[in-house]
Amino acid sequence: MKEQWRFLQTGFKTAATNMAIDRAVLMANSEGKVPPTVRFFAWKPPAISIGYFQSLNDEVDLANCKKFGVDYVRRITGGGAVFHENELTYSIILPESHPQISKNIMESYGRICGALVKGLKQLGIESRYAPINDIIADNRKISGSAQTRKLRTVLQHGTIIIDVDVDKMFSLLKVPNEKIKDKLIADVKQRVTSIKHILGKEISFSEVAKAIKTGFEEEFNIKLTKGELTEEELALSKKFEKEFFGTKVWNHRR
Amino acid sequence: MQTRSIYKVPNGKLLKIFLNYNKNNNSINSIKITGDFFAYPEESIEIMENKLKNISLNKEQLLKKIQSIIEEDNIQFIGLNAEGLTEGILMCKI
Repeated sequence: MKEQWRFLQTGFKTAATNMAIDRAVLMANSEGKVPPTVRFFAWKPPAISIGYFQSLNDEVDLANCKKFGVDYVRRITGGGAVFHENELTYSIILPESHPQISKNIMESYGRICGALVKGLKQLGIESRYAPINDIIADNRKISGSAQTRKLRTVLQHGTIIIDVDVDKMFSLLKVPNEKIKDKLIADVKQRVTSIKHILGKEISFSEVAKAIKTGFEEEFNIKLTKGELTEEELALSKKFEKEFFGTKVWNHRR
Repeated sequence: MQTRSIYKVPNGKLLKIFLNYNKNNNSINSIKITGDFFAYPEESIEIMENKLKNISLNKEQLLKKIQSIIEEDNIQFIGLNAEGLTEGILMCKI
């Protein structure tokens, strides 16, 4: 009998709610109240998330975010700024002591990204893990992830790009040198790809979700069973949203 | 004096330092270490920033201090290391 993990699909949510849910699940899992969990989600309105260590004002064009109705949030994980629009965002939360996860952070990145690689293969896309935290297909980035470990619990979340608008992305993100912005955009267009681009056709969120779910089940030799957030997780996520991810103090802290 | 640097750590991430330093005695007044790197636990970056206050910007001394903070506070960097951090800080001076 395969081990069962909880599978959550929380749909489209705001940036603050999405990040609050991840943290609430981490908390509940660290207290042994919920099983290892894989969650798929999306962002409405579209949003920029920045890494824990990034300077918000230095990375994000807040005026343009406002103009285009794009939300922003600081993550509890390190890594870079991501524009979340047409993508599948995943998170995985499990105890650090779980036999399926390495104590070594880099090894565990490789393992979790392995699930995504297997998932993409379900869609007919060949890809591979590119350390530190990317997956590349066709020599271009198709996925990026970030991991934290708190309360002896692993949380890794990341994006799988379904479609990407690099020009829009760069109207929202600041670049170190405005003079070379055009060249930088051209470079990024060369370095980033999407499921839609590789397959050469439209693909729905649910098709991608089905494939990536299978990838997780294969990589970890588990069965993902549909579940819901517990009452306690919902209450915790409301609290975290109010106290952290929805506040200026948190989002503007660096 | 308020300055900043942007430094791509070799085989690592993009480090962006905001530095306020005392030109007279060549030491750090305050520092913000930002970028797309990873540090575990995350809160240790604030500890690092606090412990670097009043530290000399002499390369050897700075590197030693950073190495000792990493050890004391059991900090694990990914995409950043003591040498890269030292380099990024000193670049603010040029």
